[in-house]
Amino acid sequence: MTYLVSLLLIALIVGLVAVASNPAPYFAALGLVVAAGVGCGVLISHGGSFLSLVLFLIYLGGMLVVFAYSAALAAEPFPESWGDRSVLGYVVIYFVGVGLMMKFFCGGWYEGSWMIIDTFKEFSMLRGDISGVAMMYSLGGGMLVICAWVLLLTLFVVLELTRGLSRGSLRAV
Amino acid sequence: MTPVHFSFCSAFILGLMGLTFHRTHLLSALLCLEGMMLSLFIALALWTLQFEMTGFSAAPMLLLAFSACEASAGLALLVATARTHGTDRLQNLNLLQC
Repeated sequence: MTYLVSLLLIALIVGLVAVASNPAPYFAALGLVVAAGVGCGVLISHGGSFLSLVLFLIYLGGMLVVFAYSAALAAEPFPESWGDRSVLGYVVIYFVGVGLMMKFFCGGWYEGSWMIIDTFKEFSMLRGDISGVAMMYSLGGGMLVICAWVLLLTLFVVLELTRGLSRGSLRAV
Repeated sequence: MTPVHFSFCSAFILGLMGLTFHRTHLLSALLCLEGMMLSLFIALALWTLQFEMTGFSAAPMLLLAFSACEASAGLALLVATARTHGTDRLQNLNLLQC
């Protein structure tokens, strides 16, 4: 179990290195998909199954699909992958940097910290994170209303940014 | 530092460095920003789970909602850039260059 979670954490770092070394956006989106998938695995192994499901649905299924469609705006005839010279330099530097930081900061395995939530609690139908999110609808209702207004505001922000013909917030469009 | 703590901290720093040293495309900078948001979501969710503060599980959900707003604003700017300059390459954003 420890080894599985360690593999997922290493895959998270590798995925983010794949994004940060800035290849063509197709490959960076692939790296983000892998990183989000293993991030969901890390959350599941700590017992947060609902938060992992939310991450998969909203982040991968919503936001990254939109980014994948926007990658059509960044189309190149010869996209740079991670094997090309300039990108490979960044990949090597980032891996060496992470290795150095790991040498300084990582002390040990700390298996005692990898506990599943609600391990020693009473038996219940609901996991901890689900009932916590349900709190957002009861006591945290004000934050929910604010969040909904912010989302509506963002809709109008996007409308004004892309209105075009010098009538929106960017005169050049 | 526990391995989990180290991994999402280094994921955030990697995304930040990818955003700082972006090279050609504006979209790859936005994707690095999304990577930072992913590491922040994982961090807040693990904070909730490891400290068993179940009432805090609303925080990663709200973070995800606000990061969706930010991603859509970034993509609107990308679309505006592609409309004026024809591409999102950063070397084309040189109107102010003498």
